[in-house]
Amino acid sequence: MGMERITIPDKERKTTSVEHIYREKTDKRILKKNPWRDYRLHGTVLILVVIAELIGTIEIPITKDVAITIMPLIYTIVFGLAFYLIKPIKWIQRKQARIAEGAMMLFIGVLIAKLAVSSGQSIGLIFEMGPALILQELGHLATILVLPIALLFGFKRESIGMTNSIGREPDVAVIVDKYGFNSPESRGVFAIFIVGTVIGTIFISFLVTLSLSFLPLHPYAFAMASGVGSASMNAAAIGPTLAAFPGLETQIEAFAGFSNLLSFCVGIYIVIFIAIPIIERVYNWLEPKIGKDSVVAQKEDE
Amino acid sequence: MSDLIDGSENVSVHGIFNWILLLIIFSIITVIGNFLGYKHPMTDSLVGMGILSLITLLGVWMERYIPLNVSSILYISVMGIIIALPGMPTSDFVLYYVSKIELLSIVTVFLAYVGIGMGKSWDEFKALGWKAIVITILVIAATYYGAAIVAHIVLVLTGVPAV
Repeated sequence: MGMERITIPDKERKTTSVEHIYREKTDKRILKKNPWRDYRLHGTVLILVVIAELIGTIEIPITKDVAITIMPLIYTIVFGLAFYLIKPIKWIQRKQARIAEGAMMLFIGVLIAKLAVSSGQSIGLIFEMGPALILQELGHLATILVLPIALLFGFKRESIGMTNSIGREPDVAVIVDKYGFNSPESRGVFAIFIVGTVIGTIFISFLVTLSLSFLPLHPYAFAMASGVGSASMNAAAIGPTLAAFPGLETQIEAFAGFSNLLSFCVGIYIVIFIAIPIIERVYNWLEPKIGKDSVVAQKEDE
Repeated sequence: MSDLIDGSENVSVHGIFNWILLLIIFSIITVIGNFLGYKHPMTDSLVGMGILSLITLLGVWMERYIPLNVSSILYISVMGIIIALPGMPTSDFVLYYVSKIELLSIVTVFLAYVGIGMGKSWDEFKALGWKAIVITILVIAATYYGAAIVAHIVLVLTGVPAV
């Protein structure tokens, strides 16, 4: 449970080059490994995809009006993770996971290109919905509402890193750049990053499925909201939304793609210029009132 | 820690040859899934994947060779939007073939790689404990609902009819 556990691999690191640490590291790895040659990895993906598409979408009715939809994309992500974790499967190891991670960077491009084509096709509609598309980016500031809960859990300045944003790569870079690699704020955002990496896509897929049944929001609002600032979470959130509104595929793809693009372009500026200043103030005001003994310090004292 | 943030959202595969072969593999798997799931003819959807792969390739190439600090995501988006704009000479061709590829077919293959890749973070994940998991879930939900509710209010206020 201790937050301090994730600081073990800390190395001295220049915080100035943070923006490019991902690219350079994966570049090096992929260049050495000839990623296309790993037939174990690609063969496994092919088998997972064939199985997933053959099973197809399953609907589990909960009540008369509410059903949980499990789509092929959930099977591939869960089985993919399971193949890595299950010991008897020897052909998917750390090496394959590293290549998968590097290859995934490239494949995001195909996904983005598909969404961009839908956006171009519906460009008139996008301009028409401009105010909603831009203002919904500010809705991401709702993460600050989670700050009191983080404080009640006993997080100190870690909570600033945890609740300023959804904590994906660009946000990690912003926090590390501002507070330094070994700061509690960075520990906080790393924690959100790791948990989000492992459960984020699966969680958001179920969250969206349930919300589509319970919340009477505009279909376009669901589409725009799926651009949370992470390509894989965006992908997982679009799936159920497309299935819920047949006939609106192009519009939903257009809004989802454009809102994700906005999250990439303006998202970090919202974090830097709005979220962090607000959260610093709320923290200074709220922490003396409801802050608990630090969970991190307690662990270190033991 | 550097291992954990080695880039799951930025395009970062070096070497054009490696890029092309990876995109071909990805296209073939996607076309097979697209055929099994949606019965789209394989030749048409292969052309569609070819178009999307070409945009991707140009985008990742531009990210590295144009001396601006701009992510490939932006180049790819701009190119994709331009070739599909109504009135562009490319738009009929692009829309016909790209529409043969379902977004969900791409997502299904993409998330298989994500699933295998995220296994690497499993040990760090287990070390974090339930409090971090609860906070992450709340943060993701807040991001999603924050955007959805603001978008809904603006859509209603600006009089966009429910479709």
